[in-house]
Order: sequence, then C-alpha cells, then structure tokens
Amino acid sequence: MMRPVLVRRDRVLPATQALGFVVGIVGALVLGAILLLVSDNNPVEVYERMFDSALGGIDSLSRTLERATPLALTGLAVAVAGSMGLWNIGAEGQMMAGATLATGVAMMTDGLSGPLLIAVMLASGVVGGMVLMLGPALARSYLGVSEIITTLMLVYVSIRVVEWLEVGHWKDAGSLGFPRIEEVPAQAALPGLFGRVNIGALIALGLLVVFSLAVSRTAWGYELRLAGSSPNTARYAGVSLRRKILAALLLSGGIAGLAGAVQLTGTEVRLTPGLSNGFGFSGIIVAALALMRPSGVAVVAFVFGAVQVGGQSIQTLGVSSAISTILQAMILFSALAAVVFFNYRVRWAGAASEHSDV
Amino acid sequence: MAAIETDYAVWLRGIEKRFPGVIACDGAELKVRRGTIHALLGENGAGKTTMANVLAGVYRPDAGEVWVNGKRQTFRSPADAIAAGVGMVYQEFRLVPSLTVAENIVLGAASPLLRVVEIEEKVAELSDTYGLAADPSRPVWQLSMGERQRVEILKALWRNASVLVMDEPTAVLTPAEAAELGLTLRAMAVDGRSVIYISHKLDQVVAFCDEATVLRRGKVTATFDDLIDVDLAELAEKMVGASEVGTIKRLKSIQPGHAVLHLNGISARNDRGLPALSDINITVHANEIVGIVGVSGNGQKELAEVIAGLRKPSEGRMILGDQDVSGASPADRYRMGLAYVPEDRLGVGLAPKMSVVDNAVVRSYRSHRRGIFLAASKCIVFCKGLIERFGVRVGRLSHPIAGLSGGNLQKLLLGRELAEQPIMLVAAQPSRGLDVQGVVAIQGHLADQRNNGVGVLLISEDLDELLALADRLLVMFGGRVVGEYGPDVTPRTILGAAMAGRPPQ
Repeated sequence: MMRPVLVRRDRVLPATQALGFVVGIVGALVLGAILLLVSDNNPVEVYERMFDSALGGIDSLSRTLERATPLALTGLAVAVAGSMGLWNIGAEGQMMAGATLATGVAMMTDGLSGPLLIAVMLASGVVGGMVLMLGPALARSYLGVSEIITTLMLVYVSIRVVEWLEVGHWKDAGSLGFPRIEEVPAQAALPGLFGRVNIGALIALGLLVVFSLAVSRTAWGYELRLAGSSPNTARYAGVSLRRKILAALLLSGGIAGLAGAVQLTGTEVRLTPGLSNGFGFSGIIVAALALMRPSGVAVVAFVFGAVQVGGQSIQTLGVSSAISTILQAMILFSALAAVVFFNYRVRWAGAASEHSDV
Repeated sequence: MAAIETDYAVWLRGIEKRFPGVIACDGAELKVRRGTIHALLGENGAGKTTMANVLAGVYRPDAGEVWVNGKRQTFRSPADAIAAGVGMVYQEFRLVPSLTVAENIVLGAASPLLRVVEIEEKVAELSDTYGLAADPSRPVWQLSMGERQRVEILKALWRNASVLVMDEPTAVLTPAEAAELGLTLRAMAVDGRSVIYISHKLDQVVAFCDEATVLRRGKVTATFDDLIDVDLAELAEKMVGASEVGTIKRLKSIQPGHAVLHLNGISARNDRGLPALSDINITVHANEIVGIVGVSGNGQKELAEVIAGLRKPSEGRMILGDQDVSGASPADRYRMGLAYVPEDRLGVGLAPKMSVVDNAVVRSYRSHRRGIFLAASKCIVFCKGLIERFGVRVGRLSHPIAGLSGGNLQKLLLGRELAEQPIMLVAAQPSRGLDVQGVVAIQGHLADQRNNGVGVLLISEDLDELLALADRLLVMFGGRVVGEYGPDVTPRTILGAAMAGRPPQ
C-alpha cells in the first residue's frame, strides 16, 4: 500500500523555497475560491480586485509598501534573534515602547528642526525598544529564563502604559476631555517618497541589507550563527554566549522599537494603544516564512503587505470582513505549510522507506 | 518450509535498507534459535544496529522479511514489535530519571488499576528470577549505568519479551557488572527466551554467546552455530576482511623533551556537582604520548574538559608551556598552543548544521577577517588546505558538515586543531566509532604529532590502541590517577586490576 511520507531534504535549495512559496499561495487561492463560492461571492471578481488594489498601479503599490514597511522591520527584529535560535515574541510591545519614548522626547524637545527632530525620535525609538528588551535579555543570558515568555508578557505591559498615559500625564489638553495624546509636531513627519510611501521604507530596506550582510558575512555574524547552531562549539571557540545573547536580543528589541517610531512619524500622527496594530505579531510569521534570514524578510514582508491590502479592499465588493480575514489567514497558513516542504519532501512509501537520522 | 521457520525465534530474511548515500543492509540474514544467546558482530557501520532497528520496528526494511516466533511480521512501529515479543535495550538508555525503577518499568504498560505496591512486588519478583538486582522504589537518576541497564532489561521482561536485543550492552559497564550481565542473559536463555547480543568486543562475545552472525558492509560474511571452539582471530578476520586488526605497530620509543603540560593538584566536580577529579598531578612532555586508561566514567571526560578550559577546576593549577593558564579561556589556551579533540565530536567539536568551511574555521576565523568581514576566500583556502593535508573526503564545502562520515568528520576536526602547530594535544576517544581506515589515519596523525615534538594526552577506552601508541600509561579510577605503567612491560592483568580500582602494590 502506498502512503505519503515526509523525508528530510539533504539541503534546501533557493529554487525549492521559491517553488514552495508559490505552491502555497496557489493552494490558498484555490481553497479561498471554494470559500468565496460557498459564501456567494465571485472568486474571479474578488481576486481581480485584490490584485488590482494591492499591485495594480503606483497608488496600489504604495499602499502595499506602506503596510510592508513595519512588517519588514518587525520581521527583521524577530529574524535577528532567530538567527541565534532565540524567539522575540514581543516585537509588538517593543514597537509601543519605541513609539512611547519617541513621543516623550518630541514633547520635551521644543522647536527642533524637522530632520533633527526625526533623527532624535527614531533614535529614541531604538532606545525604547532596547529598554523594554533589557529585562528579558539579562534574564535570558544570566539566568536562562525563557525569552519567549518574558518578551510576550511585556507586550501587555507596554500597551497598558500607553493607555495610562492617554488618560494621565500625557492627556491632550485640547482634546475636549477625550483620552488622547497630543499629535507629534508636524515637522516630525517622515518625508514622503511617492504615494503613501515615506523614507521609512528606505530605512527598512537599508537595515535589511545591513543585517543580511552582518549575519552572513561578518565575523560577528559567524559567531552569532555558531552560538545559535551549537552553543558548546561556540564556547570551545571562545565565543561568549552571554554577550551574544544580549547583543542579539537587544538589537532585536531596538529594531522593533524603531518600527514603532517609524510608524509614529510616518503613518500615524499620535501615540495610541493601537499603534502597533498587530505588526509585531505578524513579524513573527514574516520571519518564520523567511526562515529567519534577514535576506528573505523583504520579499515575505512585501507579499504579506499585498495580502493585507488586497484582503481589506474586497470588502468594498460586499465581501464580509470575516470572509476577508479568513481569506488572508488561509493564504498565510498555506504559505506556512509550504515552509514544511522547504525542509521535507514527499516520498510515496511502500517499496520506499521513511526518513532516518543515520 | 513452515516447519523450519517455526524453529527460529527470529528470522530476518534478505534485509535491505538504504539511507541517503549509504547502504546499511544489503540482503543480510539473521537466524536466531530459541533459548540461545546470538551474537551479531561487525565493525561500526557494518549494519548491526540497522538490523536490530528493523527487528525492533524502528526502521522499515526496503526489502526483506521479518519473522518472529514463526510468524511473518510487518512492524509499523516499535509498539508492534513489542507486542510481537521483541524487546530492545539501546546503548543510550531510554529511562525517565525522575521516576522510580518500578514506574519506569511499567510506564505505558500497566493497568491503571494496579497499585504501586503491587507493581513493586511484581518487579521485585521479576528481578529475583533473573538476578537483576534493582530496588523498585528508587528514582532512576540515583542509579549507576549498570543498574539502569538492569531496569531496561526488566522493562522488556515486564512486556513479556521473548526476544531481547541488546546494543553494545557492556560499553558502559565495569568488568564486574559485565560478568553479572552474562549470568542474567544465560538465565533468560535457559528460560527459553532468545537474546541478540550486538557487540564488537570479541572476548565477551565468545564468553557469553552460543552462536554468532558476522556482518560486514551490510552483508553476512559468516555464521557460527557453536562458538565453543571458535578462534578469536578467525572471528576478527571475518569482521574486518582482508585488513589487519589489533596489530597496530608499537611506536619506536624516543627521548621525551621538556614538559609542555603540567597539572598540579587539580580537583573538579561533574555536571551534577559531585566530585569527579581529586588531586590530579600529570606532566606531559614534548615527544611523548601519555595514555589515560580507565573504564569510562572515572573522570576522563572531566579531565579533558578541565585541560581544555571548558570546566573550571575547584582546586589546582595548570601550566601550559611555561605559562600558568589556570584562569585562561578555551580560546586563549588554544592560542597558547593547546589543541583539543573532544569526545563529543558533533556537539562540542563541530557544529553539525553549519557548513564544512564554517566548521573548519572555528578555531582560526579571527585570523581570516578583512575589516569586520570574514573573508570567504581566505576561509575556503584554509579549509581546502586542511582537507588536502589530512585527506578528508568531502562533498560541497557549503553543505552541512553532518553529511560527512565519522572518519572524515574526525579527520577534519583533528586537522583543524593541528593546523596552527600546537605544543600540546588532548585527544579524547579520537578513534572511537570509526572504521578501520579512519582509525589507522587518526592513530597515524597522533604518532606524527608525537614524533614532531608535540605532547599528546590520549584518553581512550581501547586498550590495544593505548598499548600501541602510548609512551606512558596512567590508570584512572574514581577520579584519581591510581597508577603509572610502561606499556611495554606491563601485563594486561595488572592494568585490568588497576582499572577496577585494585592496583597491585
């Protein structure tokens, strides 16, 4: 009797990865078509609208890139920790911390010129993210406390802090009693490039290139990969695991914090508890789909952004928001499932045999 | 035909099993009669463990048939094999350390209504029958390796195994424990059960077993229905074929030079915080191989780690060359001329998932830098140099190193350690698990280093290897050096007594 068996690939080729990704998306579209038919929608029309609004023209493209920018930054944040085998689950919280510190600094520094103010706010974003990560990073490197738990818990802490600031110290005097924080100064807005895209996209792209090279080409990146892949070998090679864990986690937190500051100065106008908007959590999926490689994050973030923009646009066709969300989830779920086939291939067992670890 | 099949407790017929790049079994056959102890012999990689795993339901053969007690079986999982009466005791025990002996034995195989007291009574009964002394209420983490093995055997008996497969059962035992194991296995055979005894320790095989099947490169090269009159040399020859074994040429003695390593009063604790080394004083000179003899678990691993700088001693000082390196890091010690081949090759010595090049530069990457970047071209040149100098056979340099065979992994590891002219080499079990060519190559490199002025500390469980290579032998027992012997003049019986903690005065 023939039955399918997963066999681990000897090594993963870029071509198989790309193919797996495409197959995942096509599979999702087929499944989505069934869902749309069942819910009395026309799949062809819906898919056309999705494509048009996400990729069909400069304006659509700019919407996709606007979405992709924070996803690329949070994806990179998760991937930097991931290349050492660490999981930063709390990029969502570090985004809030970054945006909070950037807002605070903007309030304190009056009358700075645009570029200077932007630079100061972005730097504060990095610092804010790092500060929130400091506890988990120290706990992990010195006490072995799982960073998965600590980073996640701090997400809720940081969102509550913003809620508290909204009704407390930072409450906008001119808000007529609404719990609202003052808008950031107009000169803090990130310069636009085209459509809805601002230089935040370039910052994200630049960081992706830098970290991609840093992890794969530098001695520092080699030590990071060695420590992540085989801690005992790293010790033997004279790499300080403690320092590497601290560095990877703090950088990860800093990048996520930067994502918060970019979102604050580029897209939003004020700090709200909803500023992080799920980008931090989505960053985990982005990084996982990119196999924790900074070089893959750009592509995945772009596709992810397109799916979100396209998925939302179909609501104007009368597709309910629930169906649109299910459709987006199905596409991502299929892509994640396809990742399995990056590492495994299917063999029909019967005469053949199963995977072994010999 | 049916009549013949039922005569056998186990009949593995025409077993073929392939793994990526390796043919583990190539039409091998194994016939085990009831009530006998059957040795499955062969070198590492001959296919013994694969055959055992086919019988235990871990692997499904690509071709061939499995018969147990006269019934054709198709095992889909180890649970199927257990249900058919096959019990397997692996080299690495599969016990839950925090559970008691009784709990481990019945885990997954007891009625939920059974009371702990009843279970413990039944376990005690079983232990008595087969001479398997084990206190049912003790937690497993407190037990010695020998006791843990007894728990594994009891586990199989609890599940009514009619066939017991034991993979290298004496590797972790003291000689006395090994002798006891022999009695237990005999009691089981007398009881009508069959034992498959996988090993490459020929003297034990001849002492314990009734019949034998010899495997080489996945094929059966010989079967023996009766081991009483069999010559050890004949068995050895069937195992290794044309190449010679056990006849490594004794190194010519040379005058040792100045001291390169000096351990002064070193004591250290093991991972569990218990004393593992006490007051170790060892000096190794240039042009000298000092062999550490001992049953594993007597402090050898901790000794190697302390020297390499991976374990902090609780007391004592260490001099390397003419410098005190007691507080130096592993990397500093390497820079000062200490090379180290750890016992755990894939896990400490090498990073299995990283590429061949990445692994080749673990020690030297700092010198392949160009600014902040690691110069890929320099790394590749360095790696290719190692490969050529040490005859490593590799595929693509960018592939994960885990794809290399054991011998080639070890050659690359040893080569990497020797690349920058060390003054001292610590090698822990450097030839363990390698095929004959691998062993010869590694031993050759050790001898070359010694002849070229390097001091070598060789920790090995292979007495033949130590007798051939070492200039001096130190016997370790219970974390102490209990004796020093000259390999040319010391009878094995004296070494054996010292290894068992009874050095002749």
